[in-house]
Amino acid sequence: MENNLTSYVTGDGCIHVKHKSGLDIYIAEMPGFSSVEALFGTKYGSINTMFRQRGDAEYTVVPEGIAHYLEHKLFENEDCDVFELYAKTGANGNAFTSFDKTCYLFNCSKNYQDSLRILLDFVQKPYFTKETVEKEQGIIAQEIKMTNDNPEWRVFFNMLRAMYHEHPVKIDIAGTVESIAQINAELLYKCYYTFYNLNNMVLSVAGNVKAEEVLAICDECLKPCEDKGLETVFPEEPDTIVTSEIRETQPVGASIFNIGYKCCDCRGTERLTKSVAASIASSLITDASSDMYQKLLKDGVINSSFGAEVFCGDGYFTVIFSGESEQPDIVRDSILAEVGRMINSGINENDFQRIKKSTYGMLIRELNNVEAVANNMINSHMDGVLPFDAIDTLSEMTSEDVVDFMKREFRSDRLVLSAVEKEA
Amino acid sequence: MEYKRTELADNIGFSSIIDEKFKTSSISIRFITPLGAQTAAANALGMGTLSSSNSEYTTLAALSEKLSSLYGAGLSSFARKRGDVQILGLGASWIANRYAIDGEDIEGEMLGIVRDCLFRPNAKGGEFDAESFAITKKDLLDRIDAELNNKRGFALARAAETAFTGEPAENSCYGTKETASAVGAAEAFRAYERLLRTAQVEIFFVSPQENPKAAELLRESFSEIDRSPEAVAFRNKSPLRDDIATAQDEFDVRQCKMVLTFKSDSDDTFAMKMLSTIFGETPVSKLFMNVREKMSLCYYCACRTVASKGALMVDIGAERSNLEKAKAEILHQLDEIKNGSISDEELESAITSIENALCQVGDTPSSYAGWYFERFCDGAIRTPQEQLLDYKSVTKARIVQAANSIKLDSIYLMLNKEVQE
Repeated sequence: MENNLTSYVTGDGCIHVKHKSGLDIYIAEMPGFSSVEALFGTKYGSINTMFRQRGDAEYTVVPEGIAHYLEHKLFENEDCDVFELYAKTGANGNAFTSFDKTCYLFNCSKNYQDSLRILLDFVQKPYFTKETVEKEQGIIAQEIKMTNDNPEWRVFFNMLRAMYHEHPVKIDIAGTVESIAQINAELLYKCYYTFYNLNNMVLSVAGNVKAEEVLAICDECLKPCEDKGLETVFPEEPDTIVTSEIRETQPVGASIFNIGYKCCDCRGTERLTKSVAASIASSLITDASSDMYQKLLKDGVINSSFGAEVFCGDGYFTVIFSGESEQPDIVRDSILAEVGRMINSGINENDFQRIKKSTYGMLIRELNNVEAVANNMINSHMDGVLPFDAIDTLSEMTSEDVVDFMKREFRSDRLVLSAVEKEA
Repeated sequence: MEYKRTELADNIGFSSIIDEKFKTSSISIRFITPLGAQTAAANALGMGTLSSSNSEYTTLAALSEKLSSLYGAGLSSFARKRGDVQILGLGASWIANRYAIDGEDIEGEMLGIVRDCLFRPNAKGGEFDAESFAITKKDLLDRIDAELNNKRGFALARAAETAFTGEPAENSCYGTKETASAVGAAEAFRAYERLLRTAQVEIFFVSPQENPKAAELLRESFSEIDRSPEAVAFRNKSPLRDDIATAQDEFDVRQCKMVLTFKSDSDDTFAMKMLSTIFGETPVSKLFMNVREKMSLCYYCACRTVASKGALMVDIGAERSNLEKAKAEILHQLDEIKNGSISDEELESAITSIENALCQVGDTPSSYAGWYFERFCDGAIRTPQEQLLDYKSVTKARIVQAANSIKLDSIYLMLNKEVQE
């Protein structure tokens, strides 16, 4: 089944195919571009620590960091390393694990068909042994230590830990040195055969490609999968936060902060609409032309690093304000006052239209880039929406929608301040 | 794609790169000047203040409001280091007029803003507006402080400082906290005026369609400047020292870092890049396959060339107790190459990797600007396809020769405090 998807705002398009193997495939032909970006992803990330399939009586609980570990190990075939195969085609292969997905990807400018065959083949062909699994412990332990030396990473995870009581979004994507020591080949196979089912996966290809060539390779390489009724569950998460403040000292040159509102989670189109409203609300608060921003800047409380982002997925939704500051308490208090002012007095319509235009400009820029287009297609599918829904949702957003969002979600009792401060 | 470089005036190049596939336009004006301990901070502050306001939009608030009304157009200043040279610039980007919902002339407005920032800055009586300057200065001082936040980047910067001691390249492109603190609004303005007069200037306009106004606006404005451009040398090989220098810092970190800097007297830059690729730039390189995959010592162990200084740097993050083992393996793998141990597959994969990267030039506006700026610095404007032929002509013998030309010069270590040897 093939669908042509087009944005009525920009005219850009892509195609979506529900392949007979069970896989969802998105392809964007981008005339004039030289490169190709392909992502083959599964809806399996660090938060999926508890699951079962149809017929299982009990849920399986796995060690923290196993999705990321599996990502590392899938690059080894029985007879060779996947990078050796990519070395022959010239593609730049890589992978990443996030909270709710694992993606294997390549970008290239030549031989994309051969590289696509490599990608589809190795992801469908796991090979783990006791020796190869053990070999990876040292490498991943170093990755964990490296990320724990990254203050941006620390301030973000500290905030999540202060915000979420139970939801696994609070655990580190790579796990801990202790948790990964529990991982073995048997557990990896269990996770692989549960989550790497084509019915739970997506292929996204953008750039200098022809849709019929991509689909022919899919027909050749994809092995049909039976939908096994995967069910993932998360522990019950209270609406409240754990603690309103968390601070850590690190060897940093500039102290940094994350200030986040814990919001109610939702899915699909509702989450997209909420994300767009949240994005506009946070852009208004961090708008460099606003009185609040200018006062904080002139008082030396913030610098140009002050900004905001919306972070959401299955079971979590937060709006995070971040930056460098020695006085994050003042930033927090200012945000609280500004949110209160906007909720009580409403949003200036000119400011709203200006921020809306700015957000529209950002979405247009993403369509200018092969990597961004491929990422948007896979992310949208995994979020349960279509690739151009964001730009269309934005065009329909009103200032009242944004104020409504702020009233419902920007609650002072659900605000967390996380700071990483430099050593005295 | 259509590429055309014209000279607006003596030592002011304007490159127009027209590629209809893009939905955005961008302009980048780069001032090229010698990097110096005494001038780096003032130059960075002078250029930095230009993007915080101008004579039309006299506050950051007013300028920011205007930019967001132009569909989130971007405007920023930058300072970079390339060997012994400091590159300072102003960059702007915006979506094409055809996407303007209300029919605004986004491009016309943005070109006017860029022109005003450069030639009608918010300055009176020989100094920048105090408020705009204060914001820029705090930003720069915070940026200097924040370098330690990125441990890998900090280690590489300290390694360069160690390897290039006594040369301009030892300096940061932002200056030091001390030199930046000492600069006032008048000195920063004088530094910018000096850049206008003496720097070589390269401008890159990347757009889906031609717009002669871009070059004309800048030609007209530069014609009012009494210029006496100073020559800069883009490549100054760093001399190899007699004894290997070592520098180290201790921090409360979980992972230690090590950077080995090698130097070479070879002029064969294509063979050096091939050497670096085979040695440690890809997931099939000797360092990745051995130090990471076989020995499990690290998550990353990578190599990069610093062609402007005739140097090559290898950096790794590892346990303190494994650093010596890692160093021995890095040197062993280099010895392997010096002894001619390069397989046909390694040679072929290095070429395909470089070819892949070269063929992607032009898929983003910034890649076009970056490519043609680097070729300007090389002294010859060439296409990626032409340069690919140079790489393809590199033989195994030339790579071995390049490997034998490099010598370990200095070592930088970032160590943790917990483990005492």
